Formats: sequence, structure tokens, C-alpha cells
Amino acid sequence: MNPFCCHRYAKVNSRREFLSKWAFGFGTLPVIHLLSRESLLETVFAEAARDSAVNPLAPKAPHFPAQGKNVVFIYLQGGASHVDTLDPKPVLSRFDGQGLPDSFTSGDLNFSNIAAEESKLMGSEIPFRQYGKSGLELSDILKNVAEYADDLAVIRSCYHESFVHGPAANYLCTGSILTGHPSVGAWVLYGLGSENDNLPAFMAMTDGSLSGRTNKNHIGPGFLPAIYQGTQLKPEGTLIKDLNLPREIQLDDQRALLDWIQKSNERHRESRPDDTRLAARIANYELAFRMQTAAPELVDISKEPEYIRQMYGLDDEKSQKFGRMCLLTRRMVERGVRFVHLISTDWDGHEQCVENHWENSRKTDKPIAGLLGDLKQRGLLESTLVVCIGEFGRTPFVQGNRGRDHHPYGFSCWLAGAGIQGGKVIGATDELGMRAIEDKVHVHDLHATMLSLLGLDHKGHTFFFQGRDRRLTDVGGDNDLSKRLLQAS
Amino acid sequence: MPDRVPLIIILLFSLLLPAVAGTSEASEADPWLAKAALKVLDRNCLACHGAILQSGLDMRQRDTLLRGGEGGPVLIPGNAGESRMFMAAAHVGELKMPPNEPPLSEVDLEVLRNWINAGAPWDVAGAAKTSEPSWWSFRKPQRPDLPKNSTDSWVQTPIDAFVLARLEEKGLKPAPRADRQTLIRRAYFDLIGLPPTPEQVEGFLLDSSPDAYERRIAELLDSPRYGERWARHWLDVVRYADSSGYESDHYYPNAWRYRDYVIKSFNDDKPYDRFLQEQIAGDELWPDRFELPDSRTIPLKKMEYLEARVGTGLYTFGPEALESRQYAEQLRAEELMDWADTTGAAFLGLTVGCARCHNHKFDPITQRDYYSFQAIFENSRQVEMSLMSPIQEVSRNIDYPAVVAVEEARLAYRLFEKKVKERVEEEKKKEFSPEVVAAYEMDKDERSSEQEELAKPLGEAIRLVKLDEALTEPEREQEQELLNRVARAVLKVSEIEGSNLVRYAGLLELPRASVLGHFEPEIVPPVHVLNRGQFAEKKERATPDLPRAVSQTTDPGGIFSAAMGSRRRKQLALWLSRPDHPLTARVMVNRIWQWHFGQGFVRTPNDFGRQGEAPSHPQLMDWLATEFVARGWSMKSMHWLMMTSSAYQMSSLHSDPEARLLDPDNRFLWRMNRSRLEAEALWDAMLSAAGTLNLKMYGRPAVPPLSEEETGAQAARWPVVAVAEDQYRRGIYILAQRNFTFPMFEAFDNPQSAVSCPRRDVTTVAPQALWFLNNRIALQQAGAFAARLVSKNGENPEGWVDDAWRLALHRPPSNQEKKEALELLATRARRLKKDRWTELPDGLETIPLRKAAALTELCLALFNLNEFLYID
Repeated sequence: MNPFCCHRYAKVNSRREFLSKWAFGFGTLPVIHLLSRESLLETVFAEAARDSAVNPLAPKAPHFPAQGKNVVFIYLQGGASHVDTLDPKPVLSRFDGQGLPDSFTSGDLNFSNIAAEESKLMGSEIPFRQYGKSGLELSDILKNVAEYADDLAVIRSCYHESFVHGPAANYLCTGSILTGHPSVGAWVLYGLGSENDNLPAFMAMTDGSLSGRTNKNHIGPGFLPAIYQGTQLKPEGTLIKDLNLPREIQLDDQRALLDWIQKSNERHRESRPDDTRLAARIANYELAFRMQTAAPELVDISKEPEYIRQMYGLDDEKSQKFGRMCLLTRRMVERGVRFVHLISTDWDGHEQCVENHWENSRKTDKPIAGLLGDLKQRGLLESTLVVCIGEFGRTPFVQGNRGRDHHPYGFSCWLAGAGIQGGKVIGATDELGMRAIEDKVHVHDLHATMLSLLGLDHKGHTFFFQGRDRRLTDVGGDNDLSKRLLQAS
Repeated sequence: MPDRVPLIIILLFSLLLPAVAGTSEASEADPWLAKAALKVLDRNCLACHGAILQSGLDMRQRDTLLRGGEGGPVLIPGNAGESRMFMAAAHVGELKMPPNEPPLSEVDLEVLRNWINAGAPWDVAGAAKTSEPSWWSFRKPQRPDLPKNSTDSWVQTPIDAFVLARLEEKGLKPAPRADRQTLIRRAYFDLIGLPPTPEQVEGFLLDSSPDAYERRIAELLDSPRYGERWARHWLDVVRYADSSGYESDHYYPNAWRYRDYVIKSFNDDKPYDRFLQEQIAGDELWPDRFELPDSRTIPLKKMEYLEARVGTGLYTFGPEALESRQYAEQLRAEELMDWADTTGAAFLGLTVGCARCHNHKFDPITQRDYYSFQAIFENSRQVEMSLMSPIQEVSRNIDYPAVVAVEEARLAYRLFEKKVKERVEEEKKKEFSPEVVAAYEMDKDERSSEQEELAKPLGEAIRLVKLDEALTEPEREQEQELLNRVARAVLKVSEIEGSNLVRYAGLLELPRASVLGHFEPEIVPPVHVLNRGQFAEKKERATPDLPRAVSQTTDPGGIFSAAMGSRRRKQLALWLSRPDHPLTARVMVNRIWQWHFGQGFVRTPNDFGRQGEAPSHPQLMDWLATEFVARGWSMKSMHWLMMTSSAYQMSSLHSDPEARLLDPDNRFLWRMNRSRLEAEALWDAMLSAAGTLNLKMYGRPAVPPLSEEETGAQAARWPVVAVAEDQYRRGIYILAQRNFTFPMFEAFDNPQSAVSCPRRDVTTVAPQALWFLNNRIALQQAGAFAARLVSKNGENPEGWVDDAWRLALHRPPSNQEKKEALELLATRARRLKKDRWTELPDGLETIPLRKAAALTELCLALFNLNEFLYID
């Protein structure tokens, strides 16, 4: 039997049973103390709370040892052009302005807006240079991130089948083109639990809004228990509202009320055991309680020294917002937040793709480089997997006014941290950047690799739903790159 | 089974019929085979190789099928083994059909093989039938017979017969009936979005008449609260908001008139066809309101027309980027896109917007269709319609000098301000050297870079001066006087009372509604097919037309299209409201079902197209759709039908492990779905318990007070209601700006209104708990709740607890709960920090402070219970 496929969560229902069997006879105590840090029986209960049979967010051992513990998933919404960022194509530049050569028929490829045959090839206007000891070739769009070239593993052979934003973004963020599947973050949380009881273990921030093309499905729990869903923070104004208690009620007062509330909630849930939302809400109250103390400290970046703020580009109006998101991300990682989902919106360069990407570069390049550097100098990069990818790449041929269309048939991403030996390139597209031809990496493969780097076997990491054990990687994911990523180049 | 040809017959044919080559027309000898084959094609192939001609292949007729598609011939009569269509269907070779799906079933393959080997005869009668649109939702709903299980006592209504049939098919059983306490709470929240009062619950529990439940439903349907509840659902669908979104997020001062229109329409049980017609084309269908009569009262008929026209307000509050006004054409292109997409999603249940850029593989709406659809709106534009008759406007102008007086008073104040600024500037200059001053006084463009540097500190110093603090004593007096003058002038402007239809207390502006009207014919900006959806890349001009994929059967002669002329929306509205329209009724009954049951038959309510989901109960949906039309498109009768069914009255607590395994999503409805109150309903529930809910209807958006933390930089955009009683109104009335959502609503997943929202997210995250634990409003309402309990029960904790449960949870407390609540009150009264409770609401001063505070805490705790916001 596979120990990981399971109904682990179902066991939570038997918490009472579990307690009544506990040597101390706690069955008679309000169960909710179980999660309370203030309880006198803290030590004992803390142990209990770390038992995954009781607490669905308890930290869980991975399937096999791994360096990666946390994930920063940077999603470039709209799709960044691979040939302008990570995948230099001199041949493409040479044939700039010409039609697609016959040998590159695109008969089976669909594009959102154009037919490849009617278009002209368009080489990149952005210079590529070699960086680091490895000589990794990156474009000037990433000139700050490029400082960490020797930490990056670039995959130039990503692909999938969906050329429309909605399904493609779902694919990337949930492993399924359909809405309603668990997000990568939810799967990771389900697999590893939370390292910090005082903060949501899965947080998301976007520089746009979480509606329409980037939406709650991308950080949702899908069919996993509701407790695994991501919590969104707005990187402006008050990050988390209502953290301050009302003047009349102090923490101990609230704790007393909360114990009463939770006891009532438990009673309510007893006759509704199969509704995971109720359990999730109970757990969220405990989390909310602890966040009151933990979160203000998390979001208070006022004490970050000037040089750190500069690293993240907080001194520049353009990069300030994403910089703040990245700085907060580091603070989250430091505090054991398992999964941080960052969204940079608007890479959808249908018109003047270069200008679009430059603009996005000004917003994000410094902050992302800052995050890499800062994680690194604190020794956190070793245990943090950073992945940066859009829902697809962009066409090597032109659309409209120097724009590029959606292109899922061969595109790039980079990974860093979690023991990855950087400065390497995996896979390749053809000379024009049309199709992934070498070492093809499907979205499922990327997800399998991510799980693997966290010590989770993507085939064994399942949840039973609608008649079968579901996986993040569905029936794919055979090209797990983790071993090669971990090998020295 | 008329639909299937038994395998044995097919096998028989395959023995009888030798594999003859030839191109025989329908042969007398094999009617079954031909018919069966066409069914196979219809089920598996025509979705793509029918009307939308995927790869140029049309499999609807024998001759087109023989011709093949872009990839060459697909059918060799007499030789199935080498016919590409058979090979593809059997997944032999590279081409595999249908795409991304398993091969056809063995039975279907047998049929195909034998049919082709028999020379591919054509069933002429059957073929005519398959020229029906191939996609299910484009075919007219056929009223199905009721399934024959209706002897089962569970089957109380036709709905139950269908639900039960489906459950039995799946090996599932319906849950038992919910208890009456649960039922009454469910019905109230569902239909009016408010809880039942303790008296209402009590009355229902004691009512032993057989129609007790039905009478409650009827009463609720008559309540004006019903419209407020169900209008909110509709507002989600039409992406309602009071501001534009994007960077400017400019205010739409008249959007609320549309909101009121929707509330009234639901309350009036306006037939859905009429409701649709008014919103799409109220102005074109009932043009008799262009001029209001020159009298103070407006005749009833005119009022109806006026109301119809307010319905077109739907097209005036979409998202709008002010910064692109510089590109009038782009703005217009975006506006048309929003109009077409919203119309498609809301009424047609089709996501048409995908066709903006080019034809999509799986989408029945082609790019040409899309722009033709847009072109229906080509000559339409937003206009501001006066809600006053000319004579009323004129009488308002009698007082116009008062408006001028305000302007003058304001100008006087501005002049004063300028004078003070100049004085302050002169004084500041004295603190700097002459060079600096000289540099500062130079024209910006003429300064050298050194002078620029020189001028900086002075400029900065001046900028930092707070005028308020710089005033001298005489200036301060003068300022006060000028301010008073402005205030007095403002107060002298007469407020507009309006007519019998205009509720308004306006100051400087006239009561208006934002509605649709028309461009003068000479200046209609033409709609073009846009290359890749880019406004600057125009292709041919679009001809206004209905989407052909849907209209081929409902407007086969193109009568509606031909009649479009300059009143195009009228034809669209009339076409959509045809009783036999394949989508209109289905889409709406699916929505109504979803809002009652938690999920629709089709769980993509805005997409009945090929990207959408197949219905869970196709027959029931069609039965309801035809019933809807037969009952005059009455939405209230749909509520009645659904809510009086056994299906609706099932328990949601029922737990059946086997059913959970077979149908974890409860697609087939083996129990009722538990729902979490939506943001607005949750707000209303809290205020209802507290007794603070003001049920005033209609009017300008309500703006409850918020903390500084909550409004942040947006404080100026949140003009709090002055009249205290008016601050706490139903959620539907709260100001809904696209960029600044009422914080509690945002925490509880209200829609972003960028596009139509057919179904809200329901998240469960910690910030929701923080709102109810810590937000000032929650505590204030808890205090008001406590005061309410005290005013009824005096200093009697048992009475408090009893009433608190009835008001918040709509049931009495159990003995255990009562005991625990009393204990909580007692311990809290002992332990809480008395000196912190300084702001108790009125009514609580009659009991000792400690008790009052403890009771307030208990009330707050009740708001935080799962039971408070989950409805079984």
C-alpha cells in the first residue's frame, strides 16, 4: 500500500477519539486547546498538533530526503517571450523578416491570433550576453537576475498544448487546463504541511488583481481539503487588515472567547464531518489568532536596512511594488511559509513585445535579483526552490506591430535554489525557437521536478477523488529533471 | 432503445451485405444501418465537422462527406479499412478522432465499418434531422416526458421525478427531508437573503397545516426583500459596479438606478423575456418615452417605458479606462467589446469574446460572427436621460441664481487662497539669497541646470508650507467668513424633489439615468472586423447579424437580421426572447437552479458552448426551460417549482459514504448542498441579529463608516452617509467601486465586476476570521445585539441566551449550549477588563458594565460561529 495516497485528512475526524485514547485522558478537555499555543499543556499538545493524523497542516516528512523546503513560484502572467529572455536564437535574427522556412511547417500548431505561415520571423531586439563562470546566456531583460547566472538552471524546452491564457494558466498553476483542480501550492502544502503555525503556509501576492486571467483558482484548494488554499495579501496599504484587536478585547480575552467559539464549532461539525470547509474555518480561526502576533512583525519592513531595500529596488518607483512583494517573500521564507506564489502581470506582448518586456523588466528584474541575492546571503536559497515561468512563451514570428503571439510549443523557464547546481541549460528548441526538440519538458514534468526537489514523489503524492487517485501531474511527469538539476554542471 | 441499433442487427447486416464498392444513394435494403451510422456521426463528428467545418470537412451530407476536407478524401465507400474517417475513429494510424478522446465504442465502430463497407448509403430523412445544429445547446429544448418513477412518494413535483431518475441511474438514493427548523432558515436566506425572525420560525414550527411550507414560500415571494436578494445575483452576472475600475476608477453617479430597476423587476416578477428585452433594447422597443410630457406628473404608461429604458443602463457601468480616452477609437472598441461580451455571457450564455481575435477551433462563434454581433451595437451610445419633464427642469431654473451664487462664493474663497499663497511665498523668498530667488522666479524652461539646483530648496520650502498653519489671525477670520459664505450658498440651493418617479435629493445636478441611445445616423462610427482584435487593424466593415451558429435554426430565413436597420438591438432582443430560443430559457433556469441548489446543471453558467460543461440533468433542464416559457417566463414560478420539490427540501447533513465515493461533488443531488452566506447576505444576517438593519429601499449607494486603516488613501472616495440610521442598510445598497471594495465583502469573495461573474468563489481563509474577530463594525454590531437582548429581557441572562440563539442561529439553544453560554457570561464578566469598555451602545447602561461587556462578547462570539454563516 502506498503510504502517501491517502485519506490522511479523514483521520482528522477522529480527533476526539484520538484524544480520548491519549494517556492523560484529555477527551474531556476542550479539544481546541490542541492548537492553542497559550495552553498550559503546550508541550504535550504541541506534540499532538505536529501529528499529521490530527492537524492537516502539521509538518510532514517528505517521501525522500530533499534540500528544498520552501517554494517561491514567480508567475509571469501573460507569457514572457523566450526568444527575448532565456533562449538566444541567432539564426532567428539572421532570418528576421523572412517567412517561415518550409522545414519548419507549423501545420499542427495553433496560435491564438495568427497563422504562422502568413507571418514573418522576428529576431530579438534585445542583446544576449554570457554571464558568470558558466557563461550562461541571458538577455538584458534579466540583467540583474543575470548576476546569479551560476545559480540558475534554465530550461529551454518547456511545452504544453494550450495556447489560450485561461487554460494555459490553469495548466501551469494547477496541472489541469480545467478550473477546479488543486494549485501547485495546495499540493505542496498537502504534502509537507506548514512549518509556521502562526502564518498562512501558502500566500499569494500579485501586482495586479486576482480576478480574470489571474484568479483564485490558481491558488485554490481544488478538490483537496479547503485548508490547503492560498491566502492572498495585497502588497499595498495595510497588507493584512484587522490584525489589531479592538481596544476592549485583549489577547487573553479573545483566547477565552475563541475557546468557546471553537468548542461550539466542533460540536457543529460533528454532525457534518465530511465538509472540509468547516474544519478549515476552525483551523483558520486558530491561525488568525496567532497571526495577530506574528503577521505585524512579518509585514513590517520598516526595519529593513537601506541596502536591503535597494537590493529589491524599493528606491525606484517602477520596481517598488514588485520589490515590496519580493522583500515580503524573503521574510515569509525566513519564517517558514511553505509556498509563496508571486504574480507579475501583463507580459502579454501582442503589440510591441520588446517595449512590454522592458517595462516588465523595470518592474521585476531588480526585485527578483534582490530576492535571489538576499536568500543566498542568508543561506536560505539552499532550501528554497525558486521557479520563474509564464503560462507560455511567445512566437518567434511577428504579430501586428512588433508583437508576439502566445506560444506553448517551446518556451523557457528558470529554477534556482533547493540544491540546484546552477549555470546550466537543459533542453533546447529548434534554431528558430519554434518547438522544444531536445529533452522536452512538459508542464507535468516541471511539476514533477518541483515536487521531487521537495522530496515528494509525484506519482505517490495523490488524493483520492472521483474514483481515482489524483495527481498534480495527472498521467505525465515522467521527465523528472531533479537529479540532473542537482548534479554539478 | 430507439437510439441504439442492437449489435446483433449490425452483425447480421455485416453478414448479409457483401463489401460492395459503389456510391449508392439511400438504399431500400438497409435503412437501419444508414440511420445508425448517421447517429454515430452526429454524436461523434458533427460537433466539429458540421456547421463549423473543421479542416474544411462537412460530414452532414453525403456529397460533402465524399468530397472530404483539407486533408483529402475521408470516405471510400465499400472500404472501411482504407477510409480515413474510420481509421481515425478507430485510432488506427496517426490521425485520431475525436481529438484527445478515446476511440469510438466497439458498437459505434461496428456500425461505421459495416455502413462504409455497405457503400455508405444515406438516410435522407435522418440526414435532414442532423442538419439541426450539432451542439446540444444550439438545438431547441424538447420537452421530455416525465420519467416513470413518479409512484415513489418522494416524487412531489416533476423536478423530483427527473432528479430521482438520474439518482437511480447512478445507483444513488435521495437524502431524507431536512427538519423544519433547517428548512425555514434555508428558505428565508435563499429567497430573501435574510433570516426568519424568532416569531416566524416559531409560527412555522407550530403550523401543522399540510401547506405550511408552501405558504411560507408564497409569502416570501411577495416580500420586497426578495427582489433585493435576487437582484444581487443578477448584478453579479451583469458585472454591476458604481465606478469604472482601471486607474481613474471614476464614479458612475447613476449606476444605482439600474440596480433599483433590477430590484423592482424581480419584485414585480417581470417576465424574463420582458426583462431581457428592456435591458437590451428598452429604448428601441418602447420609444414612446423620448419626450416626457410637459406636466409635473408622468402618466403611468410613460413611467413603464421610462423604467424599461433604465434597463439599458446595463451598458453604462462596464469597466472603462479613462486614460485611453486619447484614443477615442480604442475606447469605443473596448466599450463594444464589453457590450458584446456581457450580452453574450449574460443572456446567451456563451463566451463570445474568444472570437475577437480569430476563429477558435472549438468555438462555434466565428470572428465574423463576433464582429457582426458587435455591429448590433454599432449605432448605440450611452446617453444621459433626464428624469424630469421639461417643465420640471424649467422650474428648477427659477432657482438657478442660487447655483451661480455658490460658484461665486467658491471663487471668492479661491482668490483668498491665492493671495495667502503669494504672501507666504514672498516671505519664504526673504529667507533665501537673491540668486536663489532669481533662479526660482525664472521660467522653468529657461533655467540652466545650476539654476535648477539653486531654485530647488526654495521651491521645496514653499511646497512644504501648510496653508492652514500659515494663516495670520485676521486671515483666519476672513477665511472663516468666506467658508461660511460657501456653506450658506450651498444650503440655499433648492433640493430637487423630482416627480412621482424620481426619488432624489440633488444639489447641483439634475436627476438623470445613464442609458443607451443612438448616434445621429451621419456620425455612426462603423464597426470593422479587427485583425487580431487590434482596434487599429481594421478589416472589412462588419454587417450587423445574429451569431449564425445559434441563429441558423431560430432565424433560418434571416428575418431578424434583415429587419435590423437602425433598430438593431430590438431585433436581437426579440430574437433572444423567442419562446423556442435554444439558449435563453435554458441559460436562465440553469442560473436560477444554481442560486437555489449551489451548482447549476451546467457548472459553467456563462458558457453553454463547446468549452462549457455538459449538463448533469439535461432532461430536467429542458423540462424546466420549456416550463419557464410556458409559465410566461415567470421567475417566481421557477422559484416555486424548485423550492417546493422534495429535492430542494433534502437534508444537507445526510452522510452516505457510498454516495460520497460515487458522486463526491454531489452532481446528481443525493443531498442538499450546504451553502456559505455570500458577503452581502452575511452582512445582512449580522445586522438582522443586531436589530440595526435599516430596510429602506432604493437610492444612492449606502456608505457605512470605515476605519482609517480600511479606507487608507481612498478616504475621499468613501463619502460616509450622514444619517446614522441610513448607514446600515442591506448589502446590495453598499457602494460598489471597482477599485475599492467594501472590506468585509472583499474578504468574503464578492465579485470584482471586471467581467460577468456567473458563480462566486467561496474561499475559507484566515483574513475572514480576522474581520469577524477584530473589525470595529463587528464589535459595534455585537454591542447593538447585546442592547437588543437587554431591552427585551432586562437583566436576565437566561432570557438573553434564549433570544440570542433565536436571533443569530434561528433556533433555541440546547441545554448544554445554554449552560455553556451562561458560564461564559459569568466568567467573562469576572475577568474582562472593565476599564477598556468605554463606548457601550445605548441601552446597555441599564445593566452593570461587566455584564454588558460580557454579553457583548458573547454576541460577538455568535457572529463567529460556523453555524452563523453556513446554511444547511
